Amino acid sequence: MSGQPTEGWFRHSVGGFSLDFQWSLSPSRVLVLFGPSGAGKSTALKLMAGLAKPREGKIEIGGRVVFDSAAGVWVPAHRRRVGYLTQQCHLFPHLKVNQNIGYGLRRLPAREREETVRYWLETLHLDGLEKRQPWELSGGQQQRVALARALAPGPDLLLLDEPFSSLDPELRRILQRELRSMLTQREIPVVVVTHDREEALVLGDWVQVLDEGRVIANGPPLQVLGQPGQGRVARLVGVENLLELEVESRNAEDGTMFCAAGDFRLEVPFSEPDPGDHGHPTSSLPKADRVNVGIRASDIILAEVEPTGTSARNRLPGTVTAVEPRPPGYTVTLDCGQNLQCHITRASLTEMDVTPGRRMWAVFKASSCFLVQADG
Amino acid sequence: MRILTSTGAVLGGGAGILYVLFIGLPVVALIVKAAQGGGILENLSGDFALTALKLSLATSAISMGLLVLVGTPFAYLLARSDSKALRLVDSFIELPIVMPPVVAGVAMLMAFGRQGVVGSALADLGINLPFTAAAVIFAQVFVAAPFYVRAAKLGIQMVSREYEEISQTLGSPPWATFFRLTAPLAGPSIVAGLALAWARAISEFGATIIFAGNLTGKTQTLPLAIMTSLQSNLAEALALAVLLMAGAFLILLVLGAATRREWQGRI
Repeated sequence: MSGQPTEGWFRHSVGGFSLDFQWSLSPSRVLVLFGPSGAGKSTALKLMAGLAKPREGKIEIGGRVVFDSAAGVWVPAHRRRVGYLTQQCHLFPHLKVNQNIGYGLRRLPAREREETVRYWLETLHLDGLEKRQPWELSGGQQQRVALARALAPGPDLLLLDEPFSSLDPELRRILQRELRSMLTQREIPVVVVTHDREEALVLGDWVQVLDEGRVIANGPPLQVLGQPGQGRVARLVGVENLLELEVESRNAEDGTMFCAAGDFRLEVPFSEPDPGDHGHPTSSLPKADRVNVGIRASDIILAEVEPTGTSARNRLPGTVTAVEPRPPGYTVTLDCGQNLQCHITRASLTEMDVTPGRRMWAVFKASSCFLVQADG
Repeated sequence: MRILTSTGAVLGGGAGILYVLFIGLPVVALIVKAAQGGGILENLSGDFALTALKLSLATSAISMGLLVLVGTPFAYLLARSDSKALRLVDSFIELPIVMPPVVAGVAMLMAFGRQGVVGSALADLGINLPFTAAAVIFAQVFVAAPFYVRAAKLGIQMVSREYEEISQTLGSPPWATFFRLTAPLAGPSIVAGLALAWARAISEFGATIIFAGNLTGKTQTLPLAIMTSLQSNLAEALALAVLLMAGAFLILLVLGAATRREWQGRI
């Protein structure tokens, strides 16, 4: 089925909520649907799975048309060959682990079924747990069993609805990496719903940001989630530092400009007032001398003394006002006239003795700053 | 216990003793008197008793079969649908529980009796329901149905839709999903509901005597037989009463077992 398209579009409405969505995947592609709760992500997954019928649209999975409102095609969920994984696992409580994994293999002869179950028990490190009841498992084990159950029948498309959000951060990372490496070995297209930026970055090859039933951004994960250019997307993605500044001077030759709020002054990439690629009329843009600047907390370096001989254009002194754990590292808030949040590791924290009240420097490149469009 | 004051303990304890005596004394008295009246088994093996027992078992078994066949899909619909019309129907489901059985019998007579709303048309077709074994079954289903439908509905509601959705994506069509997943998970509730419904059906008296009459061998179930023999053969009446009570204890056991098997917190 390699090379066969898995894609579609649909319009759907439930109550007052309407969903207008299109997507496309090629095999071994992981599409992330990113967005706040209530954006329609889970509904979109259910429509792909055939658990609800869109008002209109067309859905193709591995080259097979499973829904086409124009042609009157409708393949129900149980014949779609789609794996579906939910946040709470929903392991069937009346069945043991091996029966859960074998649930979708009913049509196989007993021997083949056992072999397949055995294979998935081994692949997902569940050996020895086959006779357990679901509630006797840890959260991570439950999620692995649910994944095995979804993958065992060999689906043409895997749909993951916030698969790891009920797990603790450490376990979440481990499972994300395991899943990622398993997916690269297999040519199975995957759609992942998440509101966790890191999950999107670890798992995704492509990201669509969904908000109020519409796709508002579409692109590679680092581009969409790293330096989002739209205010709404930036807020959804959780850009840690979003600053409203005034343009002091532009230097077109260097491709930078200086922006400030009071004593707080940054050098950021140059921009001309420009309608952007979204075709908004110029009048709806903010005035040219006010800009919104985003900086990722992970792009800021903390220094004990003012660094010299560095290419980083922004070096700002400030006072540490807060240090909060953010496993596995920490988030430090530095008051430089404006609050700046930066992420550091545990090792850096102990090495530099970062404590509230301490004077430190925030250092980052001009290119780490990105301009964020204000919402229309 | 420690949170109780001594006054509270005395009051509660006294009430408890009173309660147990009030319920327990007649039960014990029944057994004692039945034993005094001669061999309970002997009294039960008479033709009169056996006929009533057989009729009760047969009619209640058919009633339960009908209830499961019709009540289960209906309970499923009630549990899963958000239709407003159904919610209205739902609020009337328990009407037979609060309706006096005698009234239910009269109502059924008005519906299915020879001069009844539907009954006259049925009579023209040569079908006469009143005073037949079918009428016994009608009366039993009428009074017992709410117990079953309500319990089955609650049991099905406990099985969240996500389970069924996942089962479907794993290749099980909706009907297979019901038998492989929903029914086993709602099973304890369904069994408990069936036990309660059976208890109600087997003890049905008021609606039966009005709608089906008290015809030995035809419509005379155990409760009716008890009333009849109470006037002629007390020992036999007592033996039948003990038998029905034993059945009640059996149902209590089934209920207890079903409750223990619930998937509480695991669904």
